[in-house]
Amino acid sequence: MRRSTTHDRGSPERALASCSPDSPPPSLHLSGIRRERWVPLLLLAPALIVLLALTVYPLLYAVRVSFRAADDEAWTLVNYARLFTDRFFAEALWHTFVYAGTAVTVEFFLGLGLAWLLDRHIRGRSLFRALLLIPMMIPPVVVGVIWRLLYNPNFGAINGTLQQWGIDTSALVWTASPRWALLSVILVDIWQWTPFMFLILLAGLQAIPQEPYEAALIDGSSAWHTFRHVTLPLLKPAILIALLLRTMDLLRIFDQIFILTQGGPGFATEVISLYIYKTAFRFFDFGYAVTMSFALLLITNLISLAFIRLIRAEEGLA
Amino acid sequence: MALRRVMRRSSITVLWGLLLSLLSLGCSHTNGKEAHLTLAVNAGVEGDALRAAAQDYQATFNVEITIAEFPYANLFEKELIDLTNRTGAYDLIMLDDPWFPRFAERGLLTELTPLYERRGLEGPDDDFVAASLALCRHPYGTGTLYALPYVGNSQLFFYRKDLFEKYRLSPPETWDDVLTAARTIAEREQIYGYVMRAQQGNAVVADFLPLFWAFGAEMFDAHGHPTVNSPEGIAALRMMLALGAYAPPGYVSFNADEVAAHLLQGTAAMSINWPAWIPALSDPAKSRVIGKIAITAMPGQKEPGRAEIGNWLIAIPRGARDPETAFDFLLWATSAEQMKKSALRGNPPTRVSLFRDAELVARYPSYPVQLHSLQTSRPRPRTPLWNEIENAFGIYLTKANTGELSPEEAMNRANAAIAEILQRQQ
Amino acid sequence: MILWRRPWRRWVRIIEYGAIGAALVITLAPVYWMVTMSLKTEIDQFARPPRWFDFQPMLGHYYETFFIRPFGHYVMTSALVALISTALALTLGTLAAYSLARFPLRWRLHRHLAYWILSTRMFPPIVTIIPLFLMLRHLQLLDTMTALILVYTGFNLPFVVWMMRGFFQELPVELEEAALVDGDSRLGMLWRVVRPLVAPGLAATAIFCLITSWNEFLFALILTQTDASITLPVGIAGRVTQYEIKWGAMSAAGVVAMLPMLIFAMLVQRHLVRGLSLGAVKA
Repeated sequence: MRRSTTHDRGSPERALASCSPDSPPPSLHLSGIRRERWVPLLLLAPALIVLLALTVYPLLYAVRVSFRAADDEAWTLVNYARLFTDRFFAEALWHTFVYAGTAVTVEFFLGLGLAWLLDRHIRGRSLFRALLLIPMMIPPVVVGVIWRLLYNPNFGAINGTLQQWGIDTSALVWTASPRWALLSVILVDIWQWTPFMFLILLAGLQAIPQEPYEAALIDGSSAWHTFRHVTLPLLKPAILIALLLRTMDLLRIFDQIFILTQGGPGFATEVISLYIYKTAFRFFDFGYAVTMSFALLLITNLISLAFIRLIRAEEGLA
Repeated sequence: MALRRVMRRSSITVLWGLLLSLLSLGCSHTNGKEAHLTLAVNAGVEGDALRAAAQDYQATFNVEITIAEFPYANLFEKELIDLTNRTGAYDLIMLDDPWFPRFAERGLLTELTPLYERRGLEGPDDDFVAASLALCRHPYGTGTLYALPYVGNSQLFFYRKDLFEKYRLSPPETWDDVLTAARTIAEREQIYGYVMRAQQGNAVVADFLPLFWAFGAEMFDAHGHPTVNSPEGIAALRMMLALGAYAPPGYVSFNADEVAAHLLQGTAAMSINWPAWIPALSDPAKSRVIGKIAITAMPGQKEPGRAEIGNWLIAIPRGARDPETAFDFLLWATSAEQMKKSALRGNPPTRVSLFRDAELVARYPSYPVQLHSLQTSRPRPRTPLWNEIENAFGIYLTKANTGELSPEEAMNRANAAIAEILQRQQ
Repeated sequence: MILWRRPWRRWVRIIEYGAIGAALVITLAPVYWMVTMSLKTEIDQFARPPRWFDFQPMLGHYYETFFIRPFGHYVMTSALVALISTALALTLGTLAAYSLARFPLRWRLHRHLAYWILSTRMFPPIVTIIPLFLMLRHLQLLDTMTALILVYTGFNLPFVVWMMRGFFQELPVELEEAALVDGDSRLGMLWRVVRPLVAPGLAATAIFCLITSWNEFLFALILTQTDASITLPVGIAGRVTQYEIKWGAMSAAGVVAMLPMLIFAMLVQRHLVRGLSLGAVKA
């Protein structure tokens, strides 16, 4: 472990090693050792084999299933046609977008704020950091349990405590109100996953070398100006990674809602994964479930592609 | 430094060693007993009783039994996946009776009559409650026998007899009585008049159907077309909403757990619930209303009140490795002697003799009411598509309770959704 | 200028600490509530007003969890599955990441491969779960820890590759070249020279993998059939019975599920932040 301390934050040689814009990516091929042409493939092979086995076969199988109706062997498009007439599908998709959009936005700003606060020399910093990361470590199933305990309108800790403070909570039913249920579920996500944003952004802030700040100080820039024109641009890769990973996970959110509301009340918190899950395992309609999954995969892909484009643009600059 | 390196090396060796031994573990099955059975059971009091019975069985017979326990919401899924793919993971499965048509129709269960015949028996004895045994046949009541009833649940009506006496209310016989009592108690006491499960899906439909039937409504007509939006059906939903006005806030997300919590904490006066809660009512660690709750049969309205039946059945998957051993256990577990033990563990029996057993009645004074309720009970519609229908119906019932839809609109949409489900399968 | 800045600064400090304090309370209160639920009788659990501090603690729920229910066994299963799948994913993923970072392939294939690998993480689980179930059944691996280990390895691989590729790209090539020139084998060089350099990154990545595998629910739910392979989250969900939720037992199991990750996170928190800052999020 000791050796790695030489690689501390902002070590300028290392930052420079990969930052000069014209140098090609570091390559051992250019360094005169050519006899090991099989090495790159050999190193890649085990991972690729595992991934191919766990994704490609299932994918092919799923494609076949999506073109079948019920137990029929014939090829058909009914499942795809149903996507466009299924009111539940449209509603669940809408909930997923609202959920993912709201959660990722709030988590990002809260996470950025916390990361900024705890990036500096504040007493008890490392203890605070460790404590703030706790929710992220808890199994989502357990998180669902905790918040069911808290949200219960009659026996839950939140309403109970508010009443103790003399606040009327008779209209505050959290996950039981069709209007507020989705928001309540989103709050749980924010509680659990803001730490993730915080962590990645904090790491991103720590990765920024000191020099640009010193330069800004010499120029006499205001704090906001420094943040806007020095910190943010340098933080961009971390921001993109955090947003990408979070969005990918949010679009297939399942565990907490499964425990918390099962999609209710009515259909108010039914997100797409939950609807797919019910279609597959409660109604046993795999064909349609897989078809909906493809729709979800397509959407996830499009959104991720946008992020990846941005990241590639960043890498291109680096 | 050298020591550290050695330690690193050895830890990696250990890790790989572990992995390899795990791989080999995956293939081997070792046990000292002659036969081996795996049971899939519901997490809860029913599964606990069967688990305990299995331990007794192992102690007496040369059979090793493994229990796989799953929450209610997942048990159906696990069983259906495993049975349709014929993994042979389970030798016996517990199933909730509304699931039965799906399993039976797909030919996933072992016929029991040949197994009876091989033992020189004609079939199940007539001590079983007829309404319970009818659930185990496909088609309903008359068809082939694929299961045996293990837990004789049917819905019961719970009310606070102390409050009913205080306000001189007689035990409710109609839903109008229930509404009057709910209003009276809610206005004079600081508690809720009525509490129900209105969570979408299984819960809301189960708590609504007795009301729906009492108002003379039916889910399907003689041709199998949905008729939930009949005037009777809408009137029943109106009654549900009227009761909802006296229910705790947020009741639209309640399942059995929240309903029971209100009863046990003494914050609600009446509800429909399952017999599984009866033991808790007199448990000082759980209940604040010991001795204050009375249990009665389902109220009626236009029609006499009929409870919904919700029995737990045990069946043998088709293609099970050892159906004979499995059936031996099934016969043993559903015998009067063993079922009495299960009853003492908190599960209502499915045998008439046990509902009249002196020791059991002394312990559970509600048994006569329960037997009557079970014998006059009604099953949920026997269709393999029940889960999907229940889901759609439940969503619209909950939406009516949250006020998102008017009763007419909710029932019309539910009817259309059910019609679509039926049509798609044809 | 400096003179008028001081009181202003102090106010800022107070607001900063206030914000951190609020964040801590919001973060920790729900967790604390679950811990108290695991120690209360049913009556105390539902008492009004809620009993945050004044209740009679008792260990009955823990007794039930570990002595009546096989939760000790579930913990073992979860731990083995999480540790082995993390080790596997780290080994395979790091090698692949190294290859992708160091050896440009023809037609920019290394880049396409990297993005393809990341994209496998986007698969909605439902797409793969049924075919995987059938595949594992065919291999007679259903209801084994091996199945879960395989699946979680595949689950974590994309993340490992993506993270470690970032770390390798940050390393100067010269050290490796020197080692190779000195006659080290490629793998030997990786182990002796490169591994120590990316150790903080490996640690950070390992933590994420462990969290993912320890917490995973959906695959475990479908791929396990008996106690031979049931993991902790599935066991916890199993405490939601049809009629009642065993809040106490469930909270007790929740505390147990949470503790190892918490202790672990406390121990490695420093590596987590520093590890991440050296690679994937680098400007």
